[in-house]
Amino acid sequence: MSGTRVAVVGAGMTRFMRRAQETGKELAWEAARAALDSCQLTLADMDAVCLTSAPDAFDGVHMKGEYLSDGAGGFGKPFIRTYVGGGSGVFTAIQGWYTVASGMFDVALLVAEEKMSSTQPHPQGAFLTIFDNILERPLGPNLLWIFALEMNRYMSAYGLDKRDIASVAVKNKRNAAGHPAALLGQADITVDDVLASEVLAWPVQRLDVSPISDGAVAVVVASEDAAKRITDRPVWIEGVGWNLDTTYWTNRDLVYPEYVENAARMAYDMAGVKEPRKEIHVVEPYDPFDYKELHHLEGLLLFDKGKAPEAARDGVLDRDGDLPSCPSGGLLGVGNPIAAAGLMKIAELFWQLRGEAGARQVPGTPERGVAQAWGDLMQVGTVVVMGTEVGSATTATGLPVVQTPPYTTGGHPLSDAEFRSAVGAVDHRLGAKYSWDAGVAVGRFLDGLRGGKILGRECRRCERVLVPPRMFCERCFRETDAWIEVEHTGTVQTYSICHVSWDMQPLDPPEIPAVVAVDGSDGGFLHMLGEVEPDEVRIGMEVEAVWKPVGERIGSILDIAHFRPRRHA
Amino acid sequence: MREKIARPDDVRRWPGDFPVAHRYTPGVAGEAFFTALRDRGAILGSRCERCAYTYVPARLFCERCFAELDAGVELGPGGTLVSFTIGFAGLEGEPLDRPVTLGLVRLDGADAVLLHHVLDPGDEPLEIGERVEVVLRPPEERTGSILDIQGFALAETESE
Repeated sequence: MSGTRVAVVGAGMTRFMRRAQETGKELAWEAARAALDSCQLTLADMDAVCLTSAPDAFDGVHMKGEYLSDGAGGFGKPFIRTYVGGGSGVFTAIQGWYTVASGMFDVALLVAEEKMSSTQPHPQGAFLTIFDNILERPLGPNLLWIFALEMNRYMSAYGLDKRDIASVAVKNKRNAAGHPAALLGQADITVDDVLASEVLAWPVQRLDVSPISDGAVAVVVASEDAAKRITDRPVWIEGVGWNLDTTYWTNRDLVYPEYVENAARMAYDMAGVKEPRKEIHVVEPYDPFDYKELHHLEGLLLFDKGKAPEAARDGVLDRDGDLPSCPSGGLLGVGNPIAAAGLMKIAELFWQLRGEAGARQVPGTPERGVAQAWGDLMQVGTVVVMGTEVGSATTATGLPVVQTPPYTTGGHPLSDAEFRSAVGAVDHRLGAKYSWDAGVAVGRFLDGLRGGKILGRECRRCERVLVPPRMFCERCFRETDAWIEVEHTGTVQTYSICHVSWDMQPLDPPEIPAVVAVDGSDGGFLHMLGEVEPDEVRIGMEVEAVWKPVGERIGSILDIAHFRPRRHA
Repeated sequence: MREKIARPDDVRRWPGDFPVAHRYTPGVAGEAFFTALRDRGAILGSRCERCAYTYVPARLFCERCFAELDAGVELGPGGTLVSFTIGFAGLEGEPLDRPVTLGLVRLDGADAVLLHHVLDPGDEPLEIGERVEVVLRPPEERTGSILDIQGFALAETESE
């Protein structure tokens, strides 16, 4: 790998809070200042600033990067925001790496901020447009669906016990009890508490999910020469990797995150890690939901497929286990201000590898760790390998353990009443209306639905029949070849029983969204199941489309009323 | 790939919206600013001595050097018109019965400028550099909003 070596030399964060008094700018500044203080540098020492923050729709401001730039220290400096959904926080460390490794800049400030509490009535609204506006949004999707569908597929494929998965939530919330910035640390939580919590979208229950949060994290990175001037304990960014899977999420097998494996292999190769299970001592995988941590540990090649849950059950992932996972407390325990939560994982590895994690410090002297985040339509993987120099003087001298993580203080939580009564607060409705073009392929597909046909598009090079159809094959990057009518029948790949709407209002009866693999194609799409009791639904169930009457069809995904269990004639 | 559209009414368009709203809270410095405006009719700014720069509205930090600031400076009510524009059309492009004048004003004591309405500029053309002063709503009408300031009025001539 060419370019200078790059080290993390400082880190800081705010508290993670349900609602912060601070504006996003003020949160960013609190974290950035803490990171600078941690390595005794000033803003004037920063040659460049990298920022990340998740959708603009959270804050409801135009060009959130520019809006936040003053709080991030971007005034008058080379400054850019990157954004890859939930993968953003870890990606910012990758951005910081190439900013410095390029040789253009010696020292850079990395800031990740999120203020979700501004979004009304619920931050899930900011995610509505991640679903396809024409093929999925008419079904009334909610962000929980996508997790519930993936979790159910994962559990079903390996016959997993929900108790084992819930043990991740327990571990992380217990770990977070030692984190001064944590929102949901709880030392006495049990698996039974998780299993007794409200079912949101089966199999997802409330305590399987990380909380909505406000917060910010900042990290300082430096070139090798600068790092050695700044600190005698740099933590090197040894490897970085990132990878994106197809946007057609209903065409993927949700059992395994291949994009995480691809990103991990890239990062391990760069770091010279040949046997990750032996060479990685501490891991901060992305855990917005408890099953995601396990999914990602498998993608990171740290466990065989389907084997991470039993490791969680057996304590392997505990802070004093063989492979401590999310010793910070993760998103489930510390909180999930989305972009900030990812960079928090980088900060945690920095503290862990320097022996500065206080009550959270993993035993022994961990010398190498890996942080990972995930995002977009469950399709992006971002991975960073960090390490101290194994066997070098900087790690072998028995550094004093700092009892209290020193740079985690800023931010003031607001109560609901304070949030409602804040002087100067302004309420605003975006009120944006759109008219989306279906385009060539989906336009024809909708026409087909109106005529009672499900149409696919054939790619003769990779020998796939694509449903939903597209005029180009994203794998072969060539025009697809022909329209093909596929069957009206299919198989349930995965499903959820969803009890809440996107704004978290109860649904009674619950809805049953499902990914249906369509017979005669290599794809499938999201739709609803009907004419079936929730407890009768199974993955692998054969289903058939139930069409609306001809006169009611308008050329819409809703021309199929739902799918029902197949009635063999 | 480049299909000829034989039936233009079959070009599908799908209507939708983005039903999110926001509650913007003004933060640490913003709350101090709006509380003082509502309760005392005062316009607070923040001075960074190191950078010799006074921000308005008040800020928690200096964006130039990152120093922590307080809302310790009271600005105005007089100021200087730095620039202005006159709007003759509304958001939808509709003509306005009365044109709207917006001004950037550097309040006395401030380095940053404040955007607000210029009230009833009259028939004389406005000039950059003119003296203006803040007009507040009556105390009982103030809610802790930027609209507690009605706008800037041209200053009386003798004050120049």
